[in-house]
Amino acid sequence: MTRDEDQARLIATAAGLTRLNEKHLAQLAQSVASTRELAAKLPKDLHWSEEIALTFRLPMPGDAKP
Amino acid sequence: MTDLAYLGLADAAELIRARKLSPVEYTQALLERIGRLDARYHAFIRLTPDLAMAAAREAEREIAAGNWRGPLHGVPFALKDIIDVAGLPTTAHSKVLIGNVAAADAPVTARLKAAGGILMGKLATHEFAIGGPSFDLPWPPAVNPWGDDRRFPGGSSSGSGVALAAGMVPAALGTDTGGSVRNPASMCGITGLKPTYGRVSRRGVLPLAYSLDHVGPMTRTVRDNALLLQLIAGHDPQDPGSAEVEVPDYSADLQRGVRGLKIGLIRHFYAEDIEADPEQAQAIESAAEVFRRLGAEVREIRLAPLVDYATSTRIIIRCEAFAIHRRWLAERPGDYGDLARQRILDGAAVSAADYIDALRLRARLTRRTLEAFAGIDAALTISSMDPACRIDDAEACPRAYPRQARQPFNVTGQPAIAVPAGFSKGGLPLSLQLIGHPFQEAMVYRIAQAYERATGWTDRHPEC
Repeated sequence: MTRDEDQARLIATAAGLTRLNEKHLAQLAQSVASTRELAAKLPKDLHWSEEIALTFRLPMPGDAKP
Repeated sequence: MTDLAYLGLADAAELIRARKLSPVEYTQALLERIGRLDARYHAFIRLTPDLAMAAAREAEREIAAGNWRGPLHGVPFALKDIIDVAGLPTTAHSKVLIGNVAAADAPVTARLKAAGGILMGKLATHEFAIGGPSFDLPWPPAVNPWGDDRRFPGGSSSGSGVALAAGMVPAALGTDTGGSVRNPASMCGITGLKPTYGRVSRRGVLPLAYSLDHVGPMTRTVRDNALLLQLIAGHDPQDPGSAEVEVPDYSADLQRGVRGLKIGLIRHFYAEDIEADPEQAQAIESAAEVFRRLGAEVREIRLAPLVDYATSTRIIIRCEAFAIHRRWLAERPGDYGDLARQRILDGAAVSAADYIDALRLRARLTRRTLEAFAGIDAALTISSMDPACRIDDAEACPRAYPRQARQPFNVTGQPAIAVPAGFSKGGLPLSLQLIGHPFQEAMVYRIAQAYERATGWTDRHPEC
């Protein structure tokens, strides 16, 4: 069993995906590998002061939004 | 029949209002056409002929009594099957939701019905707007009417693009999370707009990724697109992403032309970041010349590389989609098609910190993109890097998906339209993309209309 397959089983258990069969787990192992590649493309120079897009905002007084 | 098949929304509205075209005969003619063609193209998941004919008869009665409601009154339209219609299943083209009957109309559905539109049915999509083309679902994938009847129509609003290109309806709605209105518009040679984030209510529309989802109008022409957006745009206090911004008249400036406007050309997307098909790249260069000839100032601008936008978009979609699907995946993983399951499972493998960083990258990219737009009225670039591949080419379709420049404007939320920009030597549609400032859809339409009028690409239709 590869490291990605091991990790896929751990992720499935943690996420409550208990009904995944071997084919599905193999897909999740692919996800582990592709996510590692994708995350490596995130910039390394994000400063802590750079906040997320769509930061939570309370409605203003009189705002119709929920 | 050909005339009615490719009659546009605006032209149909004029004829119906003048009582030169019967909504009943129009609807009947398009239903017959769908009946003749849809076994080949699979645009519809569910056709609703009885509902359509009843609505057409009612429209005809109202108009005869002098109660014309507006440009959609008595005009057929159809909806991507992730948009709720009360009493009909919203399946998302998936076995998972095959019995999911909607209790209420989505606000966009309600608006189109209130405008007197004739709902013809629900349209094919990639499963859950993420995985396609797939051949292991309860319904076959939609097929592009251009080319050899074996071409990929793009997605995920695949049925919407196909129904328009095949002359089955003059108006449809799609949704766009990473380009899913503009991709089928580009592949099928029609016009599709992703409005500004928050411009159109997403309530009653099955989400793919909350922070990137948009509902958008799809038509064959720019003028029709402006009319359709007019009907669905506006604030929805029950949609947390909805913007409380006044809705202008999107048709008011359509004929003003582009003389004196400043258009930024984003060339590095297709010349450096990804090397586009030469014919498709040339179509953008030719469009820039058309705008110059029409009196616009076209100058090159630079944004971040495409890979930055793609990284942010893909991580956000993975995480938000997985959060939405986790319960269904836990209970019924075998009911998903292979492709959608793979793409949704991807989200299970992303760490929370990487998701947060993708959102922080999004904020940075948005800020820098809007800075680059200072001093221009809109930008021009490519939509798809290539014309449509074969739908049954299992390697070409996944390879084609990332070869695009649509995701940047899901990241930034800016309005972006894909319009026809000619044809390849093989007879397949080429397209361009125009991007505006937030809530400046009217400017995007104005520029797109000038191009459409100057080139006439929308006058060509596939031989169905």
